[in-house]
Amino acid sequence: MKVLIVNNMAPFIWGGAEELAANLEKQLVLAGHEAEVLRIPFQWNPAAKIPSQMLMARSLKLWNVDHVIALKFPAYLIRHPRKTMWLVHQYRQAYDLRGTELSNIPVSAEGDALVSLIREADREAFGECRAVYSIAPPVAGRLKKFNGLESTVLLPPLNDPELFGGGPPDGYILAAGRINSGKRQHLLVEAMRFAAESVRLIVAGPPDSAEDGDRLKKLVELYGLSGRVTLDLGFLSRPEYAGYINRADAVAYVPFDEDSLGYVTMEAAGAGKPVITATDSGGVLGLVKHGETGWVCEPDAKALGRVLSEAAGAGSKTREFGANARSLWKSMDVTWPRTLEALLR
Amino acid sequence: MKIALCSTYVPFLYGGARNIVEWLEASLKEAGHAVERIYLPETDDPEFLFQQMAAFRWIDLSAADRIVCFRPQSHLIPHPNKILWFIHHKRLFYDLWDSPYRGFPDDEKHRSLREALHRADSAAFREARKIFTNSKVVSDRLMAFNGVAGEVLYPPVFQPGRFHCRKYGDEIVCIARLEHHKRQHLLVRAMPFTKTPVRLRLCGVGSGNDYPDQLWNLAGELGCRDQILFENRWISEQEKVEILSDCLAAAYIPINEDSYGYPSVEAAHARKAVLTTTDSGGVLELVADGINGLVVEPDAVALAGAMDRLYLDRQEAARMGERAGGRLRDLGISWDHVLKSILG
Repeated sequence: MKVLIVNNMAPFIWGGAEELAANLEKQLVLAGHEAEVLRIPFQWNPAAKIPSQMLMARSLKLWNVDHVIALKFPAYLIRHPRKTMWLVHQYRQAYDLRGTELSNIPVSAEGDALVSLIREADREAFGECRAVYSIAPPVAGRLKKFNGLESTVLLPPLNDPELFGGGPPDGYILAAGRINSGKRQHLLVEAMRFAAESVRLIVAGPPDSAEDGDRLKKLVELYGLSGRVTLDLGFLSRPEYAGYINRADAVAYVPFDEDSLGYVTMEAAGAGKPVITATDSGGVLGLVKHGETGWVCEPDAKALGRVLSEAAGAGSKTREFGANARSLWKSMDVTWPRTLEALLR
Repeated sequence: MKIALCSTYVPFLYGGARNIVEWLEASLKEAGHAVERIYLPETDDPEFLFQQMAAFRWIDLSAADRIVCFRPQSHLIPHPNKILWFIHHKRLFYDLWDSPYRGFPDDEKHRSLREALHRADSAAFREARKIFTNSKVVSDRLMAFNGVAGEVLYPPVFQPGRFHCRKYGDEIVCIARLEHHKRQHLLVRAMPFTKTPVRLRLCGVGSGNDYPDQLWNLAGELGCRDQILFENRWISEQEKVEILSDCLAAAYIPINEDSYGYPSVEAAHARKAVLTTTDSGGVLELVADGINGLVVEPDAVALAGAMDRLYLDRQEAARMGERAGGRLRDLGISWDHVLKSILG
């Protein structure tokens, strides 16, 4: 089957949704389909130019395509008789972010008109789909709350699960993933001030900006943690990255209000490692159950320090939680074959 | 510089129009630029022509410092720094209107569409800071139909340094899609008329099996299969390099083609003479008779005579091959020249 994945493009910016589209393309090809990604440019500022870009997506004509999988607004407005939605997100500034400082739509009669236009276009586009899937529970929740639409949550699977086979703990807690203020690795470095002397922390991953990396270096210096905190800041190859996960006692992942489980969480669970997260980490809580598969803790350095001490050293509790995390993850059966089967149904 | 390369495409169809975009993308990235490639779907159905053109008008690429547009109707995308590397019009509404290809009636509706299209195109061309074309033929059409000038900027092949010459063997090779308008059948017909042991090698695939089958049947009817190596399959880039490095010369004889054709440029990079015909169109912008190749009438006897001449005088074949490389430099066929032009 010729499957076209339709996604947005913010010119010169590559993010999680682009990665998801590229992986979906790869998996479709491995499964014997022809697959391509169509990236439709979208520039959301100024908001007054959103309607013309919605019309643009709506006016494009597709042929020589058997099936469309659409991911984002406004790209998903494209017309095709056989379209399935795998919703990454709607235009949140017209929904849950409406009226907050994060929205670029003015609170005015004009703003109201734009919001109803977007919502009406969404209603029409979702109505055209064979099936509507969301990539995470909060996405499905918003769709239900604002559009009254039921959708099935279909979590994006890991692309290289075979790398995360686990292994003997090597005496450190790992903080992994992209490094930025929203992922709050700085909170974990600060927590080390309050953790037992024997606890070691490794922060490994690429900082989004030089400032994000410098912030961690300064904290390590400020609190004299250089003997106990290792910073491996930069791009890691997949085997290097997986090695860090497989050798950890536990993995700490405390992003603020993440939509989905988070790749780090899924990889850690796959490797049989318990996960430390925060009460406000959002989707991550779908896999991290306090006292079962890991620790859920207030997003506070002192509290996190206590949890780090408890998790470190790979005692029986840590190993038990790790095994539970792996079982819970396996029971979710989030795999590409199952995902493709749903998306092409 | 942040550069957006814009073109139209049909999903899942791969052709030369993608090469020019993706090779330029690779060259620009190598030169340190941030490049975004934007392929937008476009169908040829006249019913949807203006709807799609409207869509292109609404695209906002203000995040780019400069955009380069290729296949129609991507030239409608608005941008203050718009460069066109124009490769063809919507030809059914231009030079192919009075041809069997049109496929819709010459009625008032379609004449109005044509008139509106010409006006919209001309306006979009005037917005561009600079227009390059891929051949003289296309530049001439731009001037004739839209009254705008386009500078010819010949598309180079990818990584031309791969090509080299090892020897001048016994084969005349034609590495191209097996399609009727590429006229490999004329080369087959020529073989019974050759008087030397010169051989023909045809490499490539067709869009269907009809033409390739016809070719091989024809060779059977003419009893010249033993003079031909017929490779009806996809030839890898590496194989192409090897084949061209050992051949005597290359043949490329399409009927009235717009551009000079990658096969003739690849042969020139391998320092091989190119055999072509008087009605091959853009190929004649590259090949001059007796200088860097041979240009003969499109008939079997003339082609056979040219093949024999190349076989009998290898020194001449080699001299012409050497000059072919020089001709590429004279025409500015290099990525250096392309980048200077596009970024200038």
